[in-house]
Amino acid sequence: MPTLDIEKLKKEVIDSQIWRSVFRGGVWKDTPRDRAAHIIGNVWLHLHPVKARPRAMKWAYSWGMGGISFALYLLLTISGVALMFYYRPTVGLAYRDIKDLEFAITLGKFLRNSHRWAAQAMVVAVIAHMVRVFLTGAYKKPREFNWGVGVLLLTLTLFLSFTGYLLPWDQLAIWAVTVGTNMAGATPFLGNEGPFGGLMGMHINNDVRFTLLGGTMVGENTLIRFYVMHCVAVPLVVGILLILHFWRIRKDSFSAAPYKADEEKVDVWPHLVKREYIGAAGTTLFIMIWSILQNAPLESIANPNVTPNPSKAPWYFVGLQELLVYFDPWIAGVLLPGLIIVGLIAIPYIDTNPKGVGYYAWKERKFANTMFMLGIVMWFVLIYIGAECRGPNYAFYPPWESWYILKAAPPPTWSVFGPAHVGALPIALGIPVIGGLFAASMLLPKLIQKELNGKALMGGFCAAVIAVALVGMGLHKFGPVSGAFMLFFGALAFYFGFVMPQRHIRGLDWPRYLVTMGLVVCTMAILLKMCARLTFNIKYVLTIPTISLNI
Amino acid sequence: MGYRKAFYLANFLMLGVFIWALAADNKAEWKDYQSNYFKMTADSFDKLAAAEKDPAKKSDDEAQAKKFRHMPLEIRQIIVSDLDRYDRCTTCHVAMDEYTNPTMTTPWDKDPKVSAVYKGHPKIDEALVKAHPFTKFGCTACHEGQGLATTTAGAHGHVLHWEHPMLSVKAGHIQGSCVKCHGNFETLKGAEIAAKGRAQFKQHGCYGCHAINGWGQTVSVGLEAIADKPFERIAGYNYDRVRIDGKRLPENEWNIQNWILAHLTNDPQQVTPNDPFAHLNAEPIPPSGMADFSSFVDDKDTGHGELSRADADAIVAYLSGMTQEELIPYRWHVPAPPEREPHFADAKAHGHYVFQKYGCAGCHGLDAKQGRRRFNALGPGQKPYDEKMTDAEKFAEMEKGAEPTLPDLMGTYTHDELIKKIGNGVAAAEAKKWDPKGPLPMVFMPVWKDKISKNEMDDLATWLLSTAKKDDTGF
Repeated sequence: MPTLDIEKLKKEVIDSQIWRSVFRGGVWKDTPRDRAAHIIGNVWLHLHPVKARPRAMKWAYSWGMGGISFALYLLLTISGVALMFYYRPTVGLAYRDIKDLEFAITLGKFLRNSHRWAAQAMVVAVIAHMVRVFLTGAYKKPREFNWGVGVLLLTLTLFLSFTGYLLPWDQLAIWAVTVGTNMAGATPFLGNEGPFGGLMGMHINNDVRFTLLGGTMVGENTLIRFYVMHCVAVPLVVGILLILHFWRIRKDSFSAAPYKADEEKVDVWPHLVKREYIGAAGTTLFIMIWSILQNAPLESIANPNVTPNPSKAPWYFVGLQELLVYFDPWIAGVLLPGLIIVGLIAIPYIDTNPKGVGYYAWKERKFANTMFMLGIVMWFVLIYIGAECRGPNYAFYPPWESWYILKAAPPPTWSVFGPAHVGALPIALGIPVIGGLFAASMLLPKLIQKELNGKALMGGFCAAVIAVALVGMGLHKFGPVSGAFMLFFGALAFYFGFVMPQRHIRGLDWPRYLVTMGLVVCTMAILLKMCARLTFNIKYVLTIPTISLNI
Repeated sequence: MGYRKAFYLANFLMLGVFIWALAADNKAEWKDYQSNYFKMTADSFDKLAAAEKDPAKKSDDEAQAKKFRHMPLEIRQIIVSDLDRYDRCTTCHVAMDEYTNPTMTTPWDKDPKVSAVYKGHPKIDEALVKAHPFTKFGCTACHEGQGLATTTAGAHGHVLHWEHPMLSVKAGHIQGSCVKCHGNFETLKGAEIAAKGRAQFKQHGCYGCHAINGWGQTVSVGLEAIADKPFERIAGYNYDRVRIDGKRLPENEWNIQNWILAHLTNDPQQVTPNDPFAHLNAEPIPPSGMADFSSFVDDKDTGHGELSRADADAIVAYLSGMTQEELIPYRWHVPAPPEREPHFADAKAHGHYVFQKYGCAGCHGLDAKQGRRRFNALGPGQKPYDEKMTDAEKFAEMEKGAEPTLPDLMGTYTHDELIKKIGNGVAAAEAKKWDPKGPLPMVFMPVWKDKISKNEMDDLATWLLSTAKKDDTGF
């Protein structure tokens, strides 16, 4: 009886002409040369380096988030293409097609759920990847450019998710997109509601918002625009940038630092590729199970005449929407996100600290890590408040409180510097005062050349704030909650905006110092403005209505 | 665990989860209903075949049974091209599918043990159903609900984010669908409840505040499209206060029918309390100005209160037809002949009719006997305003504010004065308030001179003056 010799069969298959024509290389002997050839000889795998340091293989080092982001991108492409077979982007059909996916199409609900949940997961994964790269200093020379590409990819990930948000054409969709695109209408110079927009001849029907929407409100044109951007234009750009991103990783080599000086590198095939596969498979499993258990949201059909109360942007933009409580749209929706993107891209060029490349280094990179994590924490805290704690009329409702308890309107607000009857003090005074404060907070940390005692400084500052708060409460100007806000925001802004920069970056050269400090001061200005509103009900610190400039 | 094991495990798990997804997708609710129906039909043909003597008919029955046993399960739908709707109701309610079951009746139609889903459409022989062939009108044109859905909850529409759930047949709300197209619904057989609703709507003076298609006053919102009104807009964050039979409704039962019903069977002030003491807003806002028509005990007890539960359901039925949905094609509409004015020999009787016709009862009570509540109006029987009263005490006094009880006042007017007063109305801002800092009363006397003709006005005044209370001296 002939026995089945698997090894022989395998050899015959691999050595057959067909196999040989598909996969390059000779007989597989599992030598280092074979493993290298496996990477080099395969068009998909050759974007990898052939060898990498052992640290780069560790989950604890890389979190696998870059690979998982890409796995999610592939998953989204597959489920997205499948969905395109069923979905027609017109106002009359879009919502019905989604209902068909839910009720009539085989696996339709599963497909839509996986696409939705994978998109949400990808946003999280890309942000996590960025945090990891920052914390391991992987953006430093020679990888500055690839970090910039990564920042663009993050932005495009958010934009992809945002454009997809409109497609179900339900209430959730059009109002989230209305919130998002209204912010674009507040772009300085280019938006009809932004500062200087009027000077540039911007109207509701020729500004940047109009370009995005294809009209003055979300409608048929918006749907087709967002559909094309979502399915074709943006994925193409993302695909091109991804190739660039991967190729640069290979050319710049993995950032992971060697464990010891004369360490041998490890073969990428199979050591990294197997991990990538497991990461991708685990992600797919997670998304699949989530999609079986939890349905993607779908509300009533879009109705431009009925605004839900509250209307919220997609969750990853809710942090910016939350800032709308404190700032005009051109700041919260355009200036701050713009600064975040530019600031992120600038990081590798302003961070001159050569230490901490390829490993976690809290002590060696105190200033960079603290500031970056402060930004990340602020971003997510704001998202949490906006998503979970904002109810009808955008009033503050703790998560445990019912939205059916009606809340009083917020107290009336006032502006500090502005024209007569609008601001308490004149503009002519406001511009030098605010300019002076800005210049002082920008320059002081560097001008004071010796190291100050941080603890004494903080103690003194907090004592002063507490004294002011007590006096204020004594005069019944505000209550204890406002006093607590004052201390909380004041201490945060003083520590991160003065004490830390003074200690860590006063030695930086002037151009780098000014850019860094500019970003720091802008971040602190957000905290201080929140403090001004919550404690003193200040609407604007400075308002110049003639050019729609309110800060 | 090694990566090799993890590799195999992950692959098998992915395959397994995908099969799970397929299985979950395959296990659709509607398949059970459809296959059960086919099985029941096949069984009934088998039974027929067993009892049949004629071999030709017997084999025919057996063939039918076999056909039904092998019927493929599929989603069935009626395409209502007029409405651009796809009604998939017959996917489960196969007995109502004309193609599978041309008679649209089943042998077990009368069997109380069989679930309604397997039965044919009731009243299939009646002109009402014959005039509305299902293949043309579909199901949701009358029943409402979510035609595209293929799950019970989704299709019946009692789910979040579906604004038009199925109209209750039991409570008669479905008759609102007659009103959508038939202007002459009051004369139609089968629309009696909706007709009663309109009669109640007139009798209790709803027109005095709510206009429908321009007929009626504009003290409150017009109701001509109330059935279309998006829920977010109507109820806002007040819905949580709605009680039907004293119970809070689950969120998936929040719909316009229950919202109207709650206004008619509860004190509307509870549903829309607003902000009479300006706790939340800069200015005080009075609670709903609508009168409390609810003080009834049960259906039989019509002696108490004005509206029984059946009356309230009838009004809900009538208002459920108040739609201006553009998709209903014009050829579906049946206009009503103009309403005929009855003739009265007696000026007083005509005056009484005029009082009812224009909805005066909405504020002044049935037959002008008792003025209804007018929140925070100065009226008889209130304690004098005292700033030191608690909010609850103030509220109790404000609630005592009322529209005038006309017979008490009629003695102080001449015929001409009365006509002038009715004609010019009393502007909202002229109201005398009990609490000077409190809200302006929500309801007011509108201007009638453009609405009530001279002849009608004369007779109305004659009737009103005749109701005047006379004291012992005869004045």
